[in-house]
Formats: sequence, C-alpha cells, structure tokens
Amino acid sequence: MTRRYRERAASDSALSPNLTPLLDVVLQLITFFMMLIHFGSKLEGESKSIRLPVTPAALPGGDLGLDRLVVSVDSSGTLLVEGNTFDEASASAWWAKQAKTRKDGQAALGVDPETELPTLVVVRADKDASYGSVRRLLGTAQDQGFVRFTLVVLRGPG
Amino acid sequence: MMPRRTGSSRRMGPPIEVQFPVTPMLDMAFQLLAFFVLTFQSPTAETRLDLYLPASPAALPGSAEGQATETPTRRADLDLENDLWIRAEADDLGDLKALSLGDQKLNGVGALTDRLKRYQRVLNGRPLRVRVVADDRLRYEEAARIVGACSTAGVDSVRLADPGQARVGRP
Repeated sequence: MTRRYRERAASDSALSPNLTPLLDVVLQLITFFMMLIHFGSKLEGESKSIRLPVTPAALPGGDLGLDRLVVSVDSSGTLLVEGNTFDEASASAWWAKQAKTRKDGQAALGVDPETELPTLVVVRADKDASYGSVRRLLGTAQDQGFVRFTLVVLRGPG
Repeated sequence: MMPRRTGSSRRMGPPIEVQFPVTPMLDMAFQLLAFFVLTFQSPTAETRLDLYLPASPAALPGSAEGQATETPTRRADLDLENDLWIRAEADDLGDLKALSLGDQKLNGVGALTDRLKRYQRVLNGRPLRVRVVADDRLRYEEAARIVGACSTAGVDSVRLADPGQARVGRP
C-alpha cells in the first residue's frame, strides 16, 4: 500500500455527521418545554374519586407557598386525607392535631402561636358534595386557627 | 520592463474551513432538554379559588346590605357596609333555585358576575368584600360557581356565612 493511498483511506474513515439539524430540533424542543412550564400545573392530592366542579374563575394571583395542607371531600361530605377517612366528629380532632403541630412549630421558631396559621389549606371537594359539608369543614378548620384556604376547581365557562 | 502580475495569476491557497464546535452546544442542549422533560407537567384546567377566612368573624350588618356608601364614618363601618350579601337558595335536589345580591334578584351566575363588576367600578379601588349565604343542601358545584364568579369579578374577599347566623343578623 502506498503512502498516498493510506492517507486517502484515513481521511475517508473520519466521519463528520452534520449535527446542525439535530441541534435545531433540540432547541425547538427546549423552547416548547420552556413555554409550557407554567401553563397550569396540577396541585397535589389528585384523586379519581373526586370530581372537581367546573367554574368560571380568574387565574390565581398568589403563590401557593410551601406550607400546605391538602384535604379532599368526597360526594358524601366525608373528609379524605392521605388515604384516611374522617367523619365530622373525628375530623374535628384531626384538625386540632394538625393545628397543634403547626402551633408548636411556630412556638419553637419564636412566633406567637396565637397568630393566624400561615398554612394554606387546599380543599379538593367533589362537585356533588353539599355546600353545607364543605362550609362546616372550613368552619372546623377556622376554629383551629387556619385562615387561608383555596378551593381547587376546573376552569371552564361555568 | 517586468510583466505586470495580475490577480488572476496569483496562486490561491486552499479555502479556509471554519470549524464550528457543535458538540459542546449539543451536550448542553441535551442537558436542558432532559431537565425540561423530567420537570414537565401536562397542562391542566385546574385552578384555585383563594379564600381568606379569619377566625373572628366581623359583626353582621343590621341593615342596608348590598349598599356601598361613599362616606363611612369609621373604618369598621367601611368594612361592614362594603360587604355585599349573596344569597343562594337550593331546591330539593340541591340545584340553584334563586340567587340574589343584596335585595336584587339575579337570573344566574353570569348576572352576578356582571353586577359585581359594576360594584367594583363604583367602589373605585376600595376593597370589595362579599359574604355568601347559601342553603346547606346546595350542591358544592353551584357554590363553587358563585365563588368563581366573585373571583372573576375581582372581589377582594369572600366569606362563607352560616345561614342560621345570617338569618339572625338580617332584618
């Protein structure tokens, strides 16, 4: 094999794929995901047994914050939390326990435990639940010091 | 005389090949792509209606619900007199039977939104607060639509009043 032939063979074996179209596609995908990143994200606690009501609603303004407590209410008005069910009587004890835990935490941080709890209570209630059951649930939580609530709904024409 | 050298006769070198290093950029792009794919959440119609429900309820107004006055004498009066009352009555099946804002009967949730928006304009930047009084047997979806209408109209504060308590406070 002559030297000239060997050089030519070596240059032929060095493949240089054209990466530009691949880069174009990847950058377009990145743009797509970046634009969708804040287009409505699901809140935690989603359950197929809870059918959310469809309501006309403005976009929420405030941030959810880190201190959240997610509860669900099924169509019969029963409180569901992390796989446990509570009737109205036992729900009151559960709210009291949650409030005490948080107030103890506030006291440990030097915050006056008598002030309103900063915890946001996220309520996922079934559309066929009665308003009274939801109102009583909120009232029970209110009595324990929770003041910030958010009702999860599906945005629609109403 | 020396012959003049022309440009065409100048010996041209091999064309300069500009190499753009695409590989590091592609690496970075793939890392960004992986990040967005891993943190991606499918778009959803879920939204939320925020409620601020302080534990100590304000005193209930004894008269003139639904009337926003221009010159309240005290701050407490301002708070109370700007509270609009929304009354929702349910039929036996829990559907919405009648809806009213103050003393005004309304045709539906759409009319409620329009009227609340008008109140918002009249108040001219002052906070608009409403209290919802609904029958306990009303379906939650209907109640959520009322709260949603308040949210759409830009109401600052929504409170859910106890129907029994409201009957005591109302004339």
